[in-house]
Amino acid sequence: MFRNTLPAAALVLGTTLLSSLPVNAETFRWAGTTDPQTMDPHAVNAAPVTSFLNNVYEGLVRRGPDMAEEPSLATSWEALPDGAGWRFNLREGVTFHDGAAFNADDVIFSYERAASEASDVRSWFASVTEVVRVDDYTVDFLTSAPNPLFPGSIANFMILDQGWAEANGAELPARDAENHATRNANGTGPFVLASRDPGIETRLVPNEAWWDEAEHNVTEAIWTPIGNPATGLAALLSGEIDFISPIPLQDVEQVETRDGFKVLAGLETRVIMLGFGHDHETLKYSDETTEANPFLDPRVRLAVAQAIDVDTIDRVIMRGAAEPASQLLPAGLSGYSDEYDARPSFDPDAARALLAEAGYPEGFSFGLMCPNDRYINDEAVCRAVASMLARIGVTANVNAMPVRGYWDELRADNFDMYLLGWSPGTFDAEHPIRFLAHTPNDRLGTWNFGGYSSARIDELLEPIQQEIDPDARQGMLDEVAGILQDDVAYVPLYTEPLIWAMKDSVDVVQRPDNFFMLRWVTVN
Amino acid sequence: MVGFILKRLVQSVFVMLAVAFLAFSLFKFVGDPISQMTGVETSLEDQARLREELGLNDPFFVQFARFTAEMLRGDFGYSFRTREPIGQMLLSRLPATLELGTVALLISLIVGIPAGVFTALRPRGLVSQSILIGTLIGVSIPTFVIGILLIFLFGVQLGWLPTFGRGGTVQIGWWRSSLFTTDGWRSLVLPALTLGLFQLTLTMRLVRAQMMEVMRTDHIRFAIARGVPWRSIRYRHALSNTMIPVITIIGLQFGGVIAFSIVTESVFQWPGMGLLFLESIRFVDIPVMSVYLVVIAFFFVVINLLVDLLYVAIDPRLRVRESV
Repeated sequence: MFRNTLPAAALVLGTTLLSSLPVNAETFRWAGTTDPQTMDPHAVNAAPVTSFLNNVYEGLVRRGPDMAEEPSLATSWEALPDGAGWRFNLREGVTFHDGAAFNADDVIFSYERAASEASDVRSWFASVTEVVRVDDYTVDFLTSAPNPLFPGSIANFMILDQGWAEANGAELPARDAENHATRNANGTGPFVLASRDPGIETRLVPNEAWWDEAEHNVTEAIWTPIGNPATGLAALLSGEIDFISPIPLQDVEQVETRDGFKVLAGLETRVIMLGFGHDHETLKYSDETTEANPFLDPRVRLAVAQAIDVDTIDRVIMRGAAEPASQLLPAGLSGYSDEYDARPSFDPDAARALLAEAGYPEGFSFGLMCPNDRYINDEAVCRAVASMLARIGVTANVNAMPVRGYWDELRADNFDMYLLGWSPGTFDAEHPIRFLAHTPNDRLGTWNFGGYSSARIDELLEPIQQEIDPDARQGMLDEVAGILQDDVAYVPLYTEPLIWAMKDSVDVVQRPDNFFMLRWVTVN
Repeated sequence: MVGFILKRLVQSVFVMLAVAFLAFSLFKFVGDPISQMTGVETSLEDQARLREELGLNDPFFVQFARFTAEMLRGDFGYSFRTREPIGQMLLSRLPATLELGTVALLISLIVGIPAGVFTALRPRGLVSQSILIGTLIGVSIPTFVIGILLIFLFGVQLGWLPTFGRGGTVQIGWWRSSLFTTDGWRSLVLPALTLGLFQLTLTMRLVRAQMMEVMRTDHIRFAIARGVPWRSIRYRHALSNTMIPVITIIGLQFGGVIAFSIVTESVFQWPGMGLLFLESIRFVDIPVMSVYLVVIAFFFVVINLLVDLLYVAIDPRLRVRESV
């Protein structure tokens, strides 16, 4: 390396000449609230794990700073004729961290591991019928039906070395007891797992043999989970860590006004929305309306949408960092419907008129379920919604609870209305349709707690998943967006902000999926 | 004596069983472990299969019996969240909590006992009054607020001490200690102070009240009348009589310090058992929560036993009664 062989020369040349080169390599310390619970990329499909392991492992496809798909362990891919699946051409000359060579066998092994019953990521391969090894560096993924989105949907499918996994008894993801892959890692990625102390500290060092050119200048990266937000903020301000994500919105000003620190505030891909009990005959938590469910009437749902002033929620509770949303996914994502870009206008008078028309001129009361530790200021948002609804005569009894019990309550139908955030894992409009809009069954509509059902949307889901022609596909997505808006199936409120805080000397790339990629970190 | 200890140990088994039972029956209100263990895209079929595999569909008593049987065999099971063996998890976190608790207790004794004696002997002095009022303020502020205040003062503003973690640690066998490096001690100061402040006040007030009472008893008055030097009266006759109830309370409080270090550990990201417990609650890691509570119950039982034994050692009257 240049900096090792010519340190004196580098000093003499000074920084002006070299400012573009990553010469001042540094130890980088970063923190977040949740420790990845495992180092096994197939054991848990949770953001803390996937985000962290993207620094160590790699998939066939990866996403760039703007979420665009780009080649990773596959150099290219093309659809097989007649929509039979996808062919991936693998990169040659790639080695795992332990020196073993990467080839098609590792891909097939990783597929079998990730699609096994013990895996938590097997839903990614629901459409895959078989994976065929064409030659050492070519693999075909055969699908039961055309699947144009497949390459993007497996961007987090990480490849393990077959030899390493088999030699260490980690052929399957750990389900009950841990195995070797729970605390050790052997990927092809830009960083090597140097030490792992679960819940305390994890150290990574750069992979000197990485196939891609390193854009970072980190010599060692140390991760510490800090659960308490105030402690995390103090650790940043005292200089003990270089970067933390997220920080509470109310602390943004304190960081920004301090010398030597900065805040990076963007938009996450998560839309916060209100859901209704579409299949509830009666209200459960009403003081007086016990014989009917007013929300079954679309006019009442529209009244709710028109009674909520999202701009005020954004300004007051989200400090202007959020952005009003009109659909189940944020504007700008693939498949977003420009045609239905407008939210229902904020109009309390119209809302009151709609209520009267629906037979509730005096309003009614109901129960609003809300998490209090899942989304940014989630409980405050629910209280604001309740006070805005009070202005049209509707009383929301807010029941806020920790997220660990929240989904259980929703699955048990214990709500009249609820708050939900949704981040489309594939960054495409099909994702929320599959999980939130399709009529619920064992595999589809699994987060459609209110049981919203539209025969037309159910009918359109499969063609949307299979359509290759972008215009025809967008036409169907527009139709679904229109139905959801006409039915007021959900009331999308806003896209949640993403708040990262760091020292001025640190440069990072903030990806909207909130993944933290060390390969884009430079420390000056 | 041996019989006494054996009897107490048998009793302790029942105490721990009762704690395990109570803990277990409360856990169904904590939340659903499955939704914390799986991703959003996991199908309901897969969730149901996992629930079945982990035995979460079994009736409460079957689950409890299985848990108890495994515990008795010394098998603590595996964490839902990390899949690590729980025994190993707790053991690796135990030194951090014990060191923090012990140092906190030492601070409270080293400062609390002299301060208690001082305020007892000069009850109306200005210094005594300000000590009493000062510690009262310290006790009335919640632990996490004190912790955050200390962090922002000494960690952020002055930059003297680290804001989180254990700093430099040394591995001695399986015991990871922060007592052998300056960095480790620097990290220990703030959390130990935070945790020890309540104990300090308690110890001080207890010593003060006891001391004032003892000073009024007949044998002290007699000693004064006999012309025994003040020094000897205060520190030999009065103080040693003061210490008996103080030792009981402090001993019992040590169990409390260990158990309630949860808040301090969370504020300082101190990687002890309390922090592990909090994380386990967040992820509905029922096996870890159960084992933690049983272990804490065990601590209480052992400490109680030690206090009883210490009692016998200090108070000669108890020894006499037993030999009779």
